Amino acid sequence: MKTKLYLSLLVGCCACGSAGDSATPTTGAGTGGSTARFTVADNFLYVLQKQSILSYDVAASQNPVAKGSTSTYGAMPETIFPFGKYLLLGTPSGIQFYDRSLKPAAPTFVTTYNHWFSCDPVVAQGTVAYATLRSGTPCRTGQNVLETVDISNPTSPKLIRSYPMTNPRGLGIDGNTLFVGEGDSGLRVFDATDPANLRETAYFRNISTYDLIPARNVLVVTGTDGIYQYDYSDLSDIKRLSSIPIKR
Amino acid sequence: MPTHTRLVLLALLLILVDGCKYGNPPAPQPTDRTTGYRAVYISNEDLRNVTVQAPQPLLNPGKIYVKDGYLFVNDQQRGIHIFDNRNPAKPIDRGFLRIPGNSEMAIKDSTLYANNGPDLLAINIGNPANVRVVKRIENVFAPSSYPDARQVWFDCPDPGKGYVVGWERTTLTDPQCYR
Repeated sequence: MKTKLYLSLLVGCCACGSAGDSATPTTGAGTGGSTARFTVADNFLYVLQKQSILSYDVAASQNPVAKGSTSTYGAMPETIFPFGKYLLLGTPSGIQFYDRSLKPAAPTFVTTYNHWFSCDPVVAQGTVAYATLRSGTPCRTGQNVLETVDISNPTSPKLIRSYPMTNPRGLGIDGNTLFVGEGDSGLRVFDATDPANLRETAYFRNISTYDLIPARNVLVVTGTDGIYQYDYSDLSDIKRLSSIPIKR
Repeated sequence: MPTHTRLVLLALLLILVDGCKYGNPPAPQPTDRTTGYRAVYISNEDLRNVTVQAPQPLLNPGKIYVKDGYLFVNDQQRGIHIFDNRNPAKPIDRGFLRIPGNSEMAIKDSTLYANNGPDLLAINIGNPANVRVVKRIENVFAPSSYPDARQVWFDCPDPGKGYVVGWERTTLTDPQCYR
């Protein structure tokens, strides 16, 4: 069995024509975008349904075992984001916090941060959550904003500041840099050193940006035009690395 | 949060929900019943035909996922493009995982989890030469039974035609469903 595995890894490496270490599958989860409805946290896969979170035990990753369903509160959750021991759900009425540390198979509801109108995705880092709110569906006030929320006490999240946006969608934070997709209106980059005073450092208008993943100085963007990648190692000079265009 | 604060918030929420419900009275049913929505189906025969294919053109990019220098790009309702992205300046298209009705994915170790219409799949991607479904959990995801739009006529979905993956606006003949 082991020999077979090593052989397959070897074949994999030869097939790629390069012996880079990163091709070897590592244990653990990868990274999704902020609009994901599936997420892996430790030994569980969480799947967002219309009114619930499904839990699968994936300790043996090739054999997911259903461990039940946790009802969510209020409006239909749209996104799920793993944050330490918490799962953050973006819902039309706010951010819902679930603690998965007590019973990973049945995450415990902690609190809701309500903003009374619309919510798309939410991401978090350190003590701050970042959420975009977008107009366009019934019963929404029509605000297009980005909110920074103090979650230093996750049982009592507090708004830090709200920033006007055009049509915000997916977003991502890496260190002090916040990326916000504005749908067909482009991609914004902020210096987020002070969440009470985000500073826009770049705005790329011509890139359709529906979701994104920033990691290790490479930003991957997905949108209606295709996939774009950027090098943001120098924030004053963000460079496009490549694009995978769609077939029209 | 103290209980009374929660109750006050709950009351406020109920008032808001209530306001939403009655603040926007439903518009009268449009008399024009020739325009509306029709379900887009994946046939029941084709639905579970999951295969690994040569690189395919990117048509309608959806969600993205990264792990171990690889980039996974969902093509909405069709499957997942796999790119060797160890050099992000030159991603190499490694093939297409055809998964009808796919929109979501996540990975642990060498296992990719993906929705395949109603089913949840675990797919072993550890060996690029031998990507394969290792587990299928059936009927996790209910099909869409109506379009997102409101105050619209639509053709009632017919499970016999397959799994509903979306809705398209079109010309209808005597639709029987309305919302």
